[in-house]
Amino acid sequence: MPESNSAASQLAWHYENPMAQAMEAHRAGVPVVGLTSNTVPSELIRAAGFFPVMLRPAQCATPAADEFMEKNVFQARIRQIFESAVGGELDFLRAIVLSRTSEQEYKLFLYLREVAREGSRDGMPPVYLYGLLHSQSAETHAYGISRTEELKRQLEEIAGRPIAARDIAEAVVESNAARAAVRRVLRLREGVPRLSGTEALPLIGAYWLMARAEYAKLASEAADNFERGGPLPGARLIVKGAPLDHVRLHATLESHGAIVVAEDDWWGTRSVGVDISANGDAVKAIFDHYYLDAPSPRVFPPDAADRWFESHVRKGVDGVVFYLPPEDYVLGWDYPRQKRFLEKLGIPSLIVREDSGAEKLSAESHESIERFVKEIARKR
Amino acid sequence: MSEKQLQSTVAAGAYQKEWFAQLRRDVFESHRPYAILQADMPFEIFQVMGLPAVSNQWWSAVISAKRLAPKYLDAMNAMGFHDGLCRYCSLSMACTLADDPGEAPWGGLPKPAMIAARLTCDCIQRVFSIWSEALGTEFFALDNPGATELPPRWWELSRHRWRELFEQHRLDLTVAQFRVLIRTLERITGRAFDRAALRTLMEGVNRQEEYFEEVRELICNAPKTPVRMNEQITNVMAAQWLRGSEWAIQHAKNFRDEVKARVDAGIAAYPGERRRLMWVGAGLWHDTDFYTAFEQKHGAVFVWSMYLAFGPDGYIRYGLEDPLEALASRTVSMNEQLHMPPWANEWIVDQAKRHRIDGALVLTPLGTRPSATGNRFIERALERAGIPVLPVFADMVDPRNWNAAKMVERVGRFIEERL
Repeated sequence: MPESNSAASQLAWHYENPMAQAMEAHRAGVPVVGLTSNTVPSELIRAAGFFPVMLRPAQCATPAADEFMEKNVFQARIRQIFESAVGGELDFLRAIVLSRTSEQEYKLFLYLREVAREGSRDGMPPVYLYGLLHSQSAETHAYGISRTEELKRQLEEIAGRPIAARDIAEAVVESNAARAAVRRVLRLREGVPRLSGTEALPLIGAYWLMARAEYAKLASEAADNFERGGPLPGARLIVKGAPLDHVRLHATLESHGAIVVAEDDWWGTRSVGVDISANGDAVKAIFDHYYLDAPSPRVFPPDAADRWFESHVRKGVDGVVFYLPPEDYVLGWDYPRQKRFLEKLGIPSLIVREDSGAEKLSAESHESIERFVKEIARKR
Repeated sequence: MSEKQLQSTVAAGAYQKEWFAQLRRDVFESHRPYAILQADMPFEIFQVMGLPAVSNQWWSAVISAKRLAPKYLDAMNAMGFHDGLCRYCSLSMACTLADDPGEAPWGGLPKPAMIAARLTCDCIQRVFSIWSEALGTEFFALDNPGATELPPRWWELSRHRWRELFEQHRLDLTVAQFRVLIRTLERITGRAFDRAALRTLMEGVNRQEEYFEEVRELICNAPKTPVRMNEQITNVMAAQWLRGSEWAIQHAKNFRDEVKARVDAGIAAYPGERRRLMWVGAGLWHDTDFYTAFEQKHGAVFVWSMYLAFGPDGYIRYGLEDPLEALASRTVSMNEQLHMPPWANEWIVDQAKRHRIDGALVLTPLGTRPSATGNRFIERALERAGIPVLPVFADMVDPRNWNAAKMVERVGRFIEERL
């Protein structure tokens, strides 16, 4: 546990120790289910009596992934999940649920199934695919509702008991309270920020790794504390691109005097979105939330995919940093369009193409970031 | 491709060229609509609706074979699209963005009435959105539900038991999306969809693929392959883009007849054949001569690619009472069948055994990363089955990092040391 007892320290500790609460739950006899992204409805998993945890293994050597997964194709986080599943670290999970909202996750699902089928590894948790599609049409909407019902049925089968409506309602209330706490944290980054991006990411990211009620309490407490702090000077940046489940890029940007006030990704500002409706059909309400409000690389058409970014930029920002690491082969298609949008508004942008995860950014990148931040600070 | 041993190959090439020239005349002179489609789209619906369709991958291959890929890809990178993005599915779009019809193959693609793709990878919706904006035309997307049940020997179920193989929920969604596509095509063409005509066309596709199956069997059983892989591809793909049409069925029959006559006469594509190779992955369109480079020196002949082999197993559907549902079953899992475990590895090993393959070259396309997946499983499965594998890291349409001489030397070493 953290040395300091402050709420922020505790959240940051969980961010750095992502499986701590899941292991604790497992030891206490609560079955744990791993998720691979923001588009898996954790409320249904909770309602089935499981502890849901986002899989975020530490960066380490990947001998199993090297054997089965093609180089330069899968993102580092996907490779690490595969490694920890095949390597045995996730054997304590009752199941892993992946979502169809990214090609990488779908392929991870097929790869893990195949390793299990081949018999290369015994004891791996079973994997399930949640068939959420993110192109927006009446057909995919109807399909998504039926696949959410199917996921509920599968969870009931794993749990060995039906999921009661009351269980779902309670899980939604609990999750919404945690969402409200995240939104309090996010408000501290709006206008004149009182919270740096480097401080904010762990506070937000812990949402995926902890029991929701405990998270809500700690995040609210942390927000109270930061509200009492003073405003932070510096050019306000949005980071857009590959989801960042670490603070290293933010720390670099902020070391040059900028403040990251938002991220267009689910480890940051877009983590929780709006509340799940407590009215009407609960399963449909859960589905609608993940269908309409959760970001993914498969949101289509582009207007829908760009909506959050464009409206957030228009609210006021000094610059945008596009983060497209070498592993990217998807978001780079959007970059010229989004850059043109910024140019029309006169908002400067910078593209970072180095991997900010495993190693430090090069001196060259530092220099270009420094120049960029100085230039936009001068224009403010 | 230099030498053409079969009359069918010459006929297929000539027909395709004339078909495209006619398409251009129809579009420019008669203002007839046409469509550009991703290769795994249900071409059958377009055919029944009387809307000619050009395959994006075919056009990419044509551009690549004309050695124009580097120019267009460089131009695309200069527009801000980074060099790590996919090339195979975007090369045709890059040609449009370059806006240089004078240099584009055969005068270039005229403006289509629509473009359409299945959303398999996460890139294709982006490529087609950019392309549709550049063309000023509409983009129709078919979303792609994931497979959750994958019995390994899918080809034993796909012809008769396709309903259970491809999962009812996936078929239902695909049919629902087909209905929206049909309404769109009715608007574009002013014609009404004819379900009976689709069924007739599907029966025609079955006949065509049955001819291809006979060719496949001839290649499996003849002492030496009667037809080179290059020529198999030309003959098969010219017909596949127009599958079920009278020309396609007749062409498949002619091809079968010609291959059978060669087998009966004891004619081999390369009489000195001592080793049989398989090519796993899309074609190396910028250097198809590569496929014949190992005959003289090593007696190694490419006898297998997915293009012919997939026809019978991937396309034949019996039980066509609901032709849309049958077509959905043909469409919904092509990617899993050809590229993903367990379906791709199980099928390719089975094919390798049936074709008496001595060694396999597996293409991992560096410039088209989603197409690279599943390869390690395929390679492992082949090696386990006793078939040596050489992974080839190259792109199917982009020759910028391709060193032909070095690759020929490397493959030569593989043949001599491992086969």
